[in-house]
Amino acid sequence: MKYWISGGLAALTLSGGLSFADNTADAWAPETFKLSNGMDVVVLPDHRAPVVTHMVWYKVGAVDEDPGKSGIAHLFEHVMFKDTDDLEDGEFDSIVSSLGGQHNAFTSWDYTAYYQRVAKQHLGQMMALEAERMTDLIIDEDPEGSFITERDVVREERRQRIDNNPGAVLQEQVLAEFWDGHPYEITVIGIMDEVEALTPQDGIDFYKKYYSPENAILVVAGDVSGDEVRTLAEEHYGQIEPSGLVDGSRKWAEVEPLTEIQEITHSDPKVRQPVWYRYYNGTSQRRDPAFAYALDVGLDVLGGGNTSLLYVALVEEQKVAVNAGAFAWTGLHDDGPAVLYATPSPGVTMEELEAAVTAELAKQLEAGFSEEDVVRVRNSKAAEAIYARDSQQSMANLFGSWLAIGGDIDTLMSYSDDIRSVTTEQALAAVRSVFADDNNYIEAQLLPEDGEL
Amino acid sequence: MRSSILFGGAAFAVALSACTPANQDDTNTEIDVAAQGFFVEVHDGEFATIQQFTTPGGVSVWLVEEPSIPILSLRMAWQAGETNDPEGLEGLTNAMVYHMNEGAGELDAQAFFKGMEELNMSFSCGASNESTYCNASMLTDNADASFDMIALAFAEPRFDDGPFERFKREQEVSLQTRETNPQYLASRARADALYPDHAYARETDAESLAALTQDAMRTQKDMLMVQDGMLVTAVGAMSPEELAPLIDKAVSGLPETSETAETSDVVLAAAATAPVVIELPQPQSLVTFAAPAMTREDPDFYTAVVLNYTFGGGGFESRLMKDLRVAKGLTYGIYTQVSSQDKIQLWTGGGQTKNESASEFIAGIKENMSAMVAEGMTEEELAAAKAYLTGSYPLGFDSNAKIAARMMGVRLDELPVDFFDKRNAMVEAVTLEDVNRVAAEYLSPENFTFIVVGQPEGLDG
Repeated sequence: MKYWISGGLAALTLSGGLSFADNTADAWAPETFKLSNGMDVVVLPDHRAPVVTHMVWYKVGAVDEDPGKSGIAHLFEHVMFKDTDDLEDGEFDSIVSSLGGQHNAFTSWDYTAYYQRVAKQHLGQMMALEAERMTDLIIDEDPEGSFITERDVVREERRQRIDNNPGAVLQEQVLAEFWDGHPYEITVIGIMDEVEALTPQDGIDFYKKYYSPENAILVVAGDVSGDEVRTLAEEHYGQIEPSGLVDGSRKWAEVEPLTEIQEITHSDPKVRQPVWYRYYNGTSQRRDPAFAYALDVGLDVLGGGNTSLLYVALVEEQKVAVNAGAFAWTGLHDDGPAVLYATPSPGVTMEELEAAVTAELAKQLEAGFSEEDVVRVRNSKAAEAIYARDSQQSMANLFGSWLAIGGDIDTLMSYSDDIRSVTTEQALAAVRSVFADDNNYIEAQLLPEDGEL
Repeated sequence: MRSSILFGGAAFAVALSACTPANQDDTNTEIDVAAQGFFVEVHDGEFATIQQFTTPGGVSVWLVEEPSIPILSLRMAWQAGETNDPEGLEGLTNAMVYHMNEGAGELDAQAFFKGMEELNMSFSCGASNESTYCNASMLTDNADASFDMIALAFAEPRFDDGPFERFKREQEVSLQTRETNPQYLASRARADALYPDHAYARETDAESLAALTQDAMRTQKDMLMVQDGMLVTAVGAMSPEELAPLIDKAVSGLPETSETAETSDVVLAAAATAPVVIELPQPQSLVTFAAPAMTREDPDFYTAVVLNYTFGGGGFESRLMKDLRVAKGLTYGIYTQVSSQDKIQLWTGGGQTKNESASEFIAGIKENMSAMVAEGMTEEELAAAKAYLTGSYPLGFDSNAKIAARMMGVRLDELPVDFFDKRNAMVEAVTLEDVNRVAAEYLSPENFTFIVVGQPEGLDG
């Protein structure tokens, strides 16, 4: 419970599923409105089972952290499960569980979200609980109290997610360089020393500044109507006065292009399978949707799965790799990387692999994409729209994350049409511009301890 | 819950349902659909209306019709799996299922994959110790062509050189990477400690990988994937009369029947008296533990499920989480579960902690076991466990894919069609006396074999 999302996951969620309003006969549509205190509400009806997913998204994430305070957004998310005026430490969990509910929370660069999944008759009580901790959280200032214990838990979480995992260690180093000078440069879970130094006062300051209804989005998916949600939301959230302390500004900024070619290697005795990566400057669906859609389609043709050009050439034909491909993180508010990757077949050196990947990339970009490949990819992406509707939780995540970075519903609803309108020329042009010969990049290699194969 | 017959249109169904004979089970009704040549028995359960039928071709299907999204989730399974790998060919079933969507008939692997992408369908197969399965999802608009792809894969899989060579390359890598994978190392150490000579301890190695052949895969497929005993579950926008011929088409190329071997029951060795330590250079230690549990049919099974929730299965509500995470900050998470399979039953658990606190962590787990054995649960804990376990049950039925998977779980375990409806009552029937008796019988720390992967400090041996 209480986890953070790496950029990769967040990006995949969006780029993989920003789509569902398809050309099907049933006119599925969300309902949206705003409470008088500024809290946005989205209702995503799904009447198949008497179950709802209730989420509150706060427009704050790691991007908003002050210098030296990395990890506060995520640690604070943990602290939200502690005491409030009306709830003792642990009572939030026990109430939700006693109602048969499942709940959790997560933090990314761009947002922090809390959710419960319950039988629909408990929706009002979930709102009461979220409203309580939105206004009445008590942060434990005891130097041996729950804030400090939770800080230790987060340090264990960091060891489990990052420090134990050589691939995650490398990615953290690469992203710090990739976003050097941009607020995304700090890792979401925080730098170990900085997390260790976070204080209850940091938590109090953070809470006051960001946790207020005008900075929150309510998303309810499931067996409920817009009217039912409106009545309950007005009762539980509508009474909360805006704190007036949230200025609503975010620290989002342009991502500056890389200024040089860099190489980063990380070796560890646990690594048995080397991996080769190149990180190039990419884009975001929020900032440049047309370019992002074209890039997503183009990268799928080039390197998305086992029918892609790179996979067929490097894995199936040349057999120099056991896996190879390309993808981009386009789901963050600010531009994420476009990544080429390959893992060598046994006996193939990293130099041989790199030469093969770069030669194949140059060849494919020169030759261009076939219309057939582009049509197949964009239809697949559009069809994900229909499949996405099978999970109310995925739908709630899709809408919540997009709205939390300032996106609008119409963009989501027209995704299928927009992705289908990407032309072969646009897809190719996007990929060519991202991987152009004179672009800088970060090359990253994950290696066994001696650095040799 | 009510009875109804869903066939040939709603009006027809209502008319028939009024005539349901009084001696029928109150939720099951059967009708002979003469024109179609098969019966549909409708079980109108609390969580799903399950239509059971055997297709004219002889395949047993459980279908839940869900018209609101134009998709179908399909699961197909057989009750025999990897333990049927011949000696020296460990990994054969795994290799066979890998190739099931890697080309069939005139379509090589690339053509097959592209064909699936063009239909926006998925189809892939897998295996466990005691089952082999294939899962598919499709748009109902493309159902006919999607089932053609499945039919082709079942009838004429190619087992081509290209995919086979790639499979072996991937496996070669995986034999390397597993040696530094803590979860793998822990599970291998558990097998070595508790059932070293049983079929479940066998695994792929370089030699068995080298011995695999395409012919052996074909033979394995013909043994494991047959019409006889095949189980199907489906959820989606499709009726029995639409689905039955498609399934018959899909399986028509499978052999009718075969002989498979029965796996012997696992007899567990005595628990290790000291933690088994597997060295791995990393800052945290993975601690897992395992002890004997009971079969699913055992009258204590649901008692164990309830007890497990309070002990270590209930997330933040479990004693282990409250103590080792919330109060002591020793871990990001710790869990336990009762894993009752047909041939092996284990009570297992695990969590990670920094190497320096491995000893304290294990001591804490054991203290919680001893406390549960000595004092049992409280009435409040029992009530909370039941409330969660029963109240959360509907959450597992809110998507087509989940319902198809749950129904298949019930079918593989050979549970009745009304299992979903009766399960909560079995949880409710558990008493405090039951849980405390089961705790005393199963949760003593001496019953558990601890495995530690990492560089733990303070552990003897």
